[in-house]
Amino acid sequence: MLSAEQLIRYKRNILLAGCGEAGQERLLAGKVLLIGAGGLGSPAAYYLAAAGVGGLGLIDPDVVELSNLQRQILHNTGDLGRPKVDSAREKLLALNPDLKIEAVAGAFTRENAAALIARYDFVIDCTDNFPARYLLNEVCVRSGRPFVYGGVLAYAGQAMTIVPGRGPCLRCIFREAPGEGAPTTGQVGVLGAVPGVIGAIQATEAVKYLLGAGELLTGRLLTFDALTMTFFEAKVQRDPDCPVCGRKQSGGIA
Amino acid sequence: MEVEVRVFSGLEKFVPGAGPGKALLVQVPEGATGRELIAQLQIPSDQIFTMFVNGRHALPEQVLQPGDRVALFPPIGGG
Repeated sequence: MLSAEQLIRYKRNILLAGCGEAGQERLLAGKVLLIGAGGLGSPAAYYLAAAGVGGLGLIDPDVVELSNLQRQILHNTGDLGRPKVDSAREKLLALNPDLKIEAVAGAFTRENAAALIARYDFVIDCTDNFPARYLLNEVCVRSGRPFVYGGVLAYAGQAMTIVPGRGPCLRCIFREAPGEGAPTTGQVGVLGAVPGVIGAIQATEAVKYLLGAGELLTGRLLTFDALTMTFFEAKVQRDPDCPVCGRKQSGGIA
Repeated sequence: MEVEVRVFSGLEKFVPGAGPGKALLVQVPEGATGRELIAQLQIPSDQIFTMFVNGRHALPEQVLQPGDRVALFPPIGGG
């Protein structure tokens, strides 16, 4: 049952076809885990907090650095040197005191991944490297948890939602980790608004999943190019030979 | 034979006439592989992270067929 204050705070959600008061209650009961509280995690967490997604988890091992502030909009100049998850938690609770936030100031590892993910309904990939994404993908596929991939570089971004058993997983389309020569944002930069766009798309997918509204970005790799302001969608299929979800895997679901 | 190629997310700088996601018709020899197509396009191989042929992940040694739709992506790994 929504309080009088919640009816006002979430009025623009409640007005939406496909949401209503029942949908808002689902959002408040929803639990979303964000792996990373940086460029993608900042906008994604902000929008989820504002929307009233009631349980948010944040895990990130890093502290706020000056070079982060160009794009990581949860953190301020006064937060330099603080753990990102502490800075993020403070901002999100200031925005919305309805929330319960689990903040883990540490790395996302094979040891903690499964237990952490099991506590949440949906996971958002806000990591900055492929080994962490492969771990996230593997644990989510094995445990049947949906997640949304996001990645950014320079003026480009990508996103895709993975619902285990429905369409391809991340390893179906990104088979091997990139080589040593692959460019990073530390080398070629990244425009701050690009993770803003992709992080907002990721938050949208999480809200749609919790509401059961619309069509998720499954089996469609969305790419965004800011220089030409172009979105393009590549339809992608599940790979029967995928090492994570393919039919040869004992833990697979084919 | 002719294949339809799209390059994404910065790879277009290696390919004259390419734009993000813009279809390019490319002539390749019969029996050409994905790797040979990439070499013909003069894209450095370490810039290619994933190749789709007709929407499905493909290994570089996959032999292309006339009319195949090929999409090439670099790693977009930042967060």
